[in-house]
Amino acid sequence: MRLLRYIGKRLLHLVPVLLGVTVLVFFISHAIPGDPARMMAGQKASREAVENLRRSMGLDRPLHEQYLRYMKGLLHGDLGRSVRSQRPVVEDLKDFFPATLELTLASMTLCLVVGLPLGILSAVRRNRPLDHASRVFSVCGVSMPVFWLGLMLLLLFYRNLQWLPGSGRLDVGLDPPASVTGLYLVDALLEGNRPVFLNALSHIILPAFCLSYVYLAVITRIVRSSMIAVMEQDYVTTARANGISEPVVILKHCLKNSLIPTVTIAGLSVGELLGGAILTETIFGWPGMGKYVVDSVNFLDFPAIMGFTLVVSLSYVLINLAVDVIYAFLNPQIRY
Amino acid sequence: MKRTLVLIFLVTMAAGLWVPGFTQAATPPDTLVVGVSSDIHLLDPAVSSDNYDWRQIYPCYDRLVKYKVVNGEGSTEVEPSAAESWQVSQDGMVWTFKIRKGIRFDDGTPLDAKAVKFSFERVLKIGKGPADNLGAIQTVDVVDDYTVKIALKNPFGPFLQTLATDAASIVNPAVMKHEKDGDLAQGWLAQNTDGSGPFRLKEWIRGERCVLEAKPDYWGGAPKLKQVVIRFMRESSDRRMALERGDIDIAEGILIDQIPALEKNPDLVVRRYPSQLVEYVYLNCQKPPLDNPLVRQALNYAVDYQGIIDYVLQGNGVQMRGPVPKGMWGHKPDVFQYHRDVEKAKELLQKAGVSKGLELTLIYSERRATWEQIATVLQSNFADIGVNLKLQLMANPTLRDKIDRGDFELCLGAWSPDYADPSMFMNFWFDSNNWGLPGNRSFYKNEKVDSLIRRALALSDQQERIKLYNEAQDIIMADAPYIFLYQTQTIVPMRKNVKGYVYNPMLESMYNFESIYKE
Repeated sequence: MRLLRYIGKRLLHLVPVLLGVTVLVFFISHAIPGDPARMMAGQKASREAVENLRRSMGLDRPLHEQYLRYMKGLLHGDLGRSVRSQRPVVEDLKDFFPATLELTLASMTLCLVVGLPLGILSAVRRNRPLDHASRVFSVCGVSMPVFWLGLMLLLLFYRNLQWLPGSGRLDVGLDPPASVTGLYLVDALLEGNRPVFLNALSHIILPAFCLSYVYLAVITRIVRSSMIAVMEQDYVTTARANGISEPVVILKHCLKNSLIPTVTIAGLSVGELLGGAILTETIFGWPGMGKYVVDSVNFLDFPAIMGFTLVVSLSYVLINLAVDVIYAFLNPQIRY
Repeated sequence: MKRTLVLIFLVTMAAGLWVPGFTQAATPPDTLVVGVSSDIHLLDPAVSSDNYDWRQIYPCYDRLVKYKVVNGEGSTEVEPSAAESWQVSQDGMVWTFKIRKGIRFDDGTPLDAKAVKFSFERVLKIGKGPADNLGAIQTVDVVDDYTVKIALKNPFGPFLQTLATDAASIVNPAVMKHEKDGDLAQGWLAQNTDGSGPFRLKEWIRGERCVLEAKPDYWGGAPKLKQVVIRFMRESSDRRMALERGDIDIAEGILIDQIPALEKNPDLVVRRYPSQLVEYVYLNCQKPPLDNPLVRQALNYAVDYQGIIDYVLQGNGVQMRGPVPKGMWGHKPDVFQYHRDVEKAKELLQKAGVSKGLELTLIYSERRATWEQIATVLQSNFADIGVNLKLQLMANPTLRDKIDRGDFELCLGAWSPDYADPSMFMNFWFDSNNWGLPGNRSFYKNEKVDSLIRRALALSDQQERIKLYNEAQDIIMADAPYIFLYQTQTIVPMRKNVKGYVYNPMLESMYNFESIYKE
């Protein structure tokens, strides 16, 4: 009950946070020198054409008036119309956000499935060959530039070995599954479309690995160090003295208690990834939010920038809330 | 165990690096796949000012005239298309077009005088970028079902050429059923096509691909391809690998340093065409000491043109001679051309009285991959004549804003014409009414030049116009408001089995999909 009240309170906090975000982003993005009407009209357009456009886009109104108009629309669930695509921003986000979400989920799954066991093993076999190997693996992950890794992966697995497809979410000859969630893997499963599922899966492997490698490395190191810290606690020695088998000590007594920093890092990573990973998306031709927002900034597409920021801030806040709730499950001492 | 793992790892790496990729024609023979660098934004010919959008829009519509293909090569002259013939009044003010009968839009609506009137008026009413291309039009009148009369505001030499641009695409008037809140169907046409061209939009997955489907009953003959897939692949190396593997048939915008490797591949052919895209430096004529022509001449003499072409462009360009590029009528092959002469440049600076410690700033963006290097070369060239050039890289919108307001000293820029007429250079670049982004980006003003180029624009006699433009070009070269660097080459790497591709310098990034086929 208390937890529910806490969640409700945190959700209420969302309102001032998002309001603050709109104010900040609106005024900062409008401070970028440049003229969206000119960007839209094209370089060679005459002054009249640009003026007409400025008026029709409402850019000739004072800034605070533009903001109030935007907020009025927002309260009605209208994120405005993108300057570039002339479509409602919501439609654009519906196209680009699922691709990012799918890639984020795939990367995080990979991070946890590989990072957790690797971290645990490194801690258990501290300073033995496996630990050293995992250290080298992690250092590589943290220090390897993503664009270089991406290109090498493509060169090896796409161009030379021809094991995996190149850029994009699906092969050219395949139609995407009917959109329910926008995540091709999930939609293909819902549709029972095996070829599309397998194709989408093969397409996501390289970008997901490329994107997850950095976070994977961090998570492995964090799990290792917090496991080591926990393993030196008295209660672990007691558990061992009581004759509890080693796997149970490690997985039940140590792991759960060492997960808090891992969950924090994983939560932050998901938030970060949802903002779009521009380099990975660029290299793998992944139609996600990163590319969308960079293009929007280059084009001074204010409604698109605002819409993107709102969605990302909202996801960030929600993920942080989820992390806080998970804390309570992991450590009964934490009460809300 | 350890040894086995190491062995497996090494074998995999070696296999990856040394086994040459077996090439396969992954794309079906009736489908052309083009890998391009940028996503598209919208598909309305009355709204888009972007060549990348025009790539998809252009083949979906017909226009009154089209560019001629001469001996398999694109030319800058136009010939009848949806218009069968035309007549122009003696004063060049009224144009009457006879429209070809039997052209229909997808829903059966005929392409007639009403459709032409609707389309042109729509562009002008919407008043966005493309409206400038049709800006000379005063009225469009329907004479009968298949005759349309267009009256101009003033005589405009390049009028016929403007009718071959994307802006002059003829849209089905029935599109108005999709109009919302008086938007003249802009919302709908931004995402759909409704033309009588050889292709129609079949599918557009944003950020991923756009598919155009051929119309077998196209009045000009069925296209040989069934469909064209445009794949958005932002990274040059990515497009290169896909081309090598045969996953795409044409790769657009491959970086120059990757071209030599593609040329060695026996399955590919790398085509090069002299383009009308030029790159140049704006010298702000309103900012001292650049308001002194002697200083501008000195800077023009300082630049190592051939060095830039040989080393930065790896030979893929030619030095500009005068403002009108080679290949465009009105190009003056004997106009004065600057070359590197450090002594002369120093002398000119001394004469101008600014020889000691002159400091200037060059602004540029990352819009083109070569600009960073060119800026560095200019910096070192100017240092040779005692000018300290500061380099300032900035985001494209900021750069454009500074250009528009004249808030710069030197700036790197690129320009390509929208239609085949020297006015796209002469009038845009030098008319003092065009200061700022619209064209005169050096804020140059010379009344004699103004008068010559304005007279030339109002005439329709080509010889007369050339004479006037020639006279203006001589004055301009002495005034040196810009540093004319080079005319680029368009490089199009494609699979060897792609045939029938015709490059037209007026249709940069636009393809003749209707006559391309695969063997």
